[in-house]
Amino acid sequence: MLEIKGLHKSFANTGVLKGIDFRVDKGEVVAVIGQSGSGKTTLLRCMSFLERADSGYMIFDNCSCDMTAVSKKEIRELRMHMGFVFQSFNLFSNMTVFQNVMEGLVTARGMDKEKARKKATEVLEKVGMINRAEFYPGELSGGQQQRVAIARSIAPDPEIILFDEPTSALDPELTGEVLDVMKTLAKEGTTMVVVTHEMGFAKEVASRVVFMENGTVVEEGTAGEIFSAPKNERTRQFLSIS
Amino acid sequence: MSSRLIEILTSSFFKILIPGIKITIPLTVLSFAVSLVLGLLLALVQVAELRFIKDIARFYIWIFRGTPLIVQLFIIFFGLPSLGITLEAFPSAVMAFGMNLGAYNAEVFRAAILAIPKGQMEAAYMIGLNYPMTMMRVVLPQSFPIAFPSLFNNLIGLLKDTSLASSITVIELFTTAQQIAARTYEPFALYCEAALIYLIFSTALTWLQDWIERKLKWKSGGSEDAGNQRTA
Ligand SMILES: Nc1ncnc2c1ncn2[C@@H]1O[C@H](COP(=O)(O)OP(=O)(O)OP(=O)(O)O)[C@@H](O)[C@H]1O
Ligand SMILES: [Mg+2]
Repeated sequence: MLEIKGLHKSFANTGVLKGIDFRVDKGEVVAVIGQSGSGKTTLLRCMSFLERADSGYMIFDNCSCDMTAVSKKEIRELRMHMGFVFQSFNLFSNMTVFQNVMEGLVTARGMDKEKARKKATEVLEKVGMINRAEFYPGELSGGQQQRVAIARSIAPDPEIILFDEPTSALDPELTGEVLDVMKTLAKEGTTMVVVTHEMGFAKEVASRVVFMENGTVVEEGTAGEIFSAPKNERTRQFLSIS
Repeated sequence: MSSRLIEILTSSFFKILIPGIKITIPLTVLSFAVSLVLGLLLALVQVAELRFIKDIARFYIWIFRGTPLIVQLFIIFFGLPSLGITLEAFPSAVMAFGMNLGAYNAEVFRAAILAIPKGQMEAAYMIGLNYPMTMMRVVLPQSFPIAFPSLFNNLIGLLKDTSLASSITVIELFTTAQQIAARTYEPFALYCEAALIYLIFSTALTWLQDWIERKLKWKSGGSEDAGNQRTA
């Protein structure tokens, strides 16, 4: 489904990603865990070309390409099949919940308004936000905003959705509602990469867990393997403190 | 106050007001329209980081903010004819005021565009919008309400600056006051009267501003301060 090889990225001569190999198969939920600053966000941002890799190779969709040489047009084409859920929600504050969800369908994909309306209703029902459809983002709680952001990203039926710590900006009592929505998506077979500090979620939902440290993938395996029998010393340390 | 003075003031009020309505206001409106279009273009090419065009925009702003408005007015009206470009007084004034204020409005628009959180642009890209769509649908609609008070401030400044057009033979509000003052030998009274008429115009603009700002606030549904989250 999506594969990355030899991904390198540095900021101002500091290596942040130092040769990442990463693959996600269809229907998998991959949890990416690791300490703060280990490069998890940067990995997702390079995969979605919000950040340009210094080197690396990517296979996704129709593209089998050098990540440094992809054109703007190809990037936009890739993003048509890729969803991204941000830590800080990033809803469009000039649009209602409904408009936020319809935007990618109508403006980006030229979908017919009526059809888009139906699709938006469907995904908003799924995340339990249909009764807030006419609200503006500023009128919603953080958890509600994030559920709308998830609806917005799933509306165009992407092949894969990248989540960057979707619950980290939320008050503890609001994380549950967002994680529940993500669990539903996982059950439906949505392919997901989830950067998270929620170990409970990773244990329960992830089909595979990737542990990153200092810009490299130190260990990966099924949730069972990583949480009950981590092979790597660093992974053990990380899991014992978190 | 002598009855002669009262007579002069009352009879001149409409003589000054009429060129104010017929010349000063159209001059202000047209120049402002030019400055908005120009300012928006100059801001967009800067934030889009269009390499060479961006430098031209910076150069333009440097020139027009760095030299006096009246000098620009004189260059366009008295100077350009020697290059073979002759414009009438009114279009010269529209051009000078529009180009001058365009440089200032460019900075207002640029700041208002940069004030929109970058995360919203990234979210727009990730749902498949390209750069022009992101600007049109997400960034600019949020930038206008931010830019609005400063733009309006510039508009009120422009209204008063149009009096400089009197120096290039445009018969507007202030020119008329000057002519009547010279004829009646009552400069104090007549210039105060001209000031009063400018004040009436700018007060009307202030009301207009308040009214539009209320509309803008209402339309954005209180979404401007995302920090003020209501749990429903
Ligand atoms: N735009 C940037 N410019 C410079 N340095 C950056 C930039 N983005 C990230 N970094 C650096 O790269 C390193 C990895 O950052 P990244 O955000 O990927 O970590 P992370 O694993 O997501 O951490 P966290 O769990 O805190 O979100 C950090 O040291 C960070 O300071
Ligand atoms: Mg991060």
